[in-house]
Amino acid sequence: MLLSSQYAALGVLLIAPTVLVFCAVIVYPLVSAIYLSLFSIYTPTLQGKWVGLDNYAKLLASGEFWGALRVTLVWTIGTLVLQLVFGIALALLLHQNLVFRSLARGLILFPYFVSTVVAVLVWRWLFNDLYGILNHVLLAAGLIDMPLDWLGQMPNAMVSLILVGAWKYFPFVVITVLARLQTIPDHLYEAAEMDGAGPVARFFDVTLPQLRDVLLVVILLRAIWDFKEFDLIWLMTGGGPVTSTQTLPLLVYRSAFGLNEMGGASAVAVLMMLVMLVFMALYIRAQRQE
Amino acid sequence: MAEVTFDKVRKAFGSAVAVRELDLAIRSGEFVSLLGPSGCGKTTTLRMLAGLETPTSGAISIDGTVVNELAPAKRDIAMVFQSYALYPHMSVAQNIAYPLKKRGVSRADRDVRVAAVAATLQLGALLDRKPRQLSGGQQQRVALGRALVRDPRVFLLDEPLSNLDAKLRAHMRAELIELHRRIGKTMVYVTHDQLEAMTMSDRIAVMHDGVLQQFGTPKEVYETPANLFVASFIGSPGMNLVKGELRAAGSGLAFVRGDLSLPVANGGTAGAAVTLGVRPEDITLGAGPFACTIRVVEPTGHETIVMAEAAGETLVARAAPDSQLVPGQVVPFAVRAQRLHAFDADGRRLPLVFAQSNGA
Ligand SMILES: Nc1ncnc2c1ncn2[C@@H]1O[C@H](COP(=O)(O)OP(=O)(O)O)[C@@H](O)[C@H]1O
Ligand SMILES: [Mg+2]
Repeated sequence: MLLSSQYAALGVLLIAPTVLVFCAVIVYPLVSAIYLSLFSIYTPTLQGKWVGLDNYAKLLASGEFWGALRVTLVWTIGTLVLQLVFGIALALLLHQNLVFRSLARGLILFPYFVSTVVAVLVWRWLFNDLYGILNHVLLAAGLIDMPLDWLGQMPNAMVSLILVGAWKYFPFVVITVLARLQTIPDHLYEAAEMDGAGPVARFFDVTLPQLRDVLLVVILLRAIWDFKEFDLIWLMTGGGPVTSTQTLPLLVYRSAFGLNEMGGASAVAVLMMLVMLVFMALYIRAQRQE
Repeated sequence: MAEVTFDKVRKAFGSAVAVRELDLAIRSGEFVSLLGPSGCGKTTTLRMLAGLETPTSGAISIDGTVVNELAPAKRDIAMVFQSYALYPHMSVAQNIAYPLKKRGVSRADRDVRVAAVAATLQLGALLDRKPRQLSGGQQQRVALGRALVRDPRVFLLDEPLSNLDAKLRAHMRAELIELHRRIGKTMVYVTHDQLEAMTMSDRIAVMHDGVLQQFGTPKEVYETPANLFVASFIGSPGMNLVKGELRAAGSGLAFVRGDLSLPVANGGTAGAAVTLGVRPEDITLGAGPFACTIRVVEPTGHETIVMAEAAGETLVARAAPDSQLVPGQVVPFAVRAQRLHAFDADGRRLPLVFAQSNGA
């Protein structure tokens, strides 16, 4: 009895640091965000008064929130699909015995570790309607006969965003998928070949099932990160033209520092979290059922 | 039914030669083992036949048709991999049905054939399991089932029993023999285990360093090994090898090593360096013209392995389990002259006939 209570005390002592750190870095910010969202707060002074669920009621009634949610979904799904398609395709290519394979594997990481600010500056320059190389090339090739406004009109601005997002983040998919590809035993491919499977059947019957677990993680992580993406979109279009590329994180920023409504911004952030939770739950359930 | 022929087949990986000028003619319905130590080119030979490697030179033919350029799926060959290579995300039934599915066999036909194979291999209760839920022996049977279901012309098996424990291995050996007897297909079986090769094969191809050493029945490779490598590789405990030379003795020749002298009845030239080979069971302890000193006695239950010293050599002999030998004891021994082997300085078998000796 005495001994077991001593053990219990020791147990509490041993997990205490973990629990404390967890509370400090996860629970506290979460609770305070929820707490703030129940006030109407003027950002510069951080003074405010209790308004209950008013912030939420206003948001859900406003077209701006739903518009931003729609934009966020379009951006997330669009860029994620492109990242996956290009990421998997390039991983398969780099898995072959190419001449410059190791060089190519190193280069592929480049977009991923270029700072977003630098990358966006370069892309804005490429996309520029007056002196951008993209319009120049398309004009020269005769594909367009007037320079296109890539960032200042829709749907071009969203297409540009999705493309740059895919370019910036597909290396993550390449690296994780490539790592998994290298662990698939050659014997499986040889067995499939002897069983009469062609290259396409081998991809769908051997490669893809083996990639399933790693793709599950990649999709989960990339979906969260793309959903929360701020700097790339903010620097590329600032949410424009008008609000047509304003995603939820941009709305949070504008509410907090443009409109000086910290409470409303917190409410958007909390709703964002809920949306993500719902999607994650649906996604994980769908995966479990397979 | 299918004959398989290797005609001067060579395989090099860069500068490393895995298989050298291999000539091998496997008869239809035969069970042939490729036997040799690790790295001798057995797997490479099998993979060339499967179509997974292309020979550097030479021709491989099945039923008289050269298949060098034929894709693996078109050769009508099934292979059981050492690692089994089962598709991890498919059930047992799906694994076995896969080659049929890829060949466009209808669903109903597939079900019938999978059920038949499952019955043969006693896999019926496991059809819905995934490979990771199976024991090694069960996975092995599924891999076998995936090969069987296609009813191919030739079966290739690459060390299929090496991942199993000893008891299961003996059991599967018997099952494979029985399976081969029943379906009567040509089977090429790779192993480094001479016991498997000896017990299962119609003929054994012994390989060493990419070179075929001998191709013959288990009895032939055991009783008339073509060279020193085959002589020492086959048999456990291994053949005793004693280096000596032929000298004139009386009216004829004798093999001489120290105070050991064996009269030769036929063949050989005086002065030639010869290695004498004696299998442990061909040494009889207790009576005979020679004397040895017992060093180690190892009872194994059904027999006793004895190490003894004679003429500066350590000889291994088999003795009856009830023999009362003790280390240090000096005992007489005899060798069975008609079962002795002789090899020349290059290790090739010599056609020497020994006479039963009556005195040293
Ligand atoms: N893909 C390969 N690349 C280079 N060398 C190889 C390859 N496959 C086999 N070898 C070499 O060929 C020789 C024979 O190999 P293998 O046929 O696998 O031998 P075994 O099956 O008899 O153990 C070995 O020396 C091995 O290192
Ligand atoms: Mg091998």
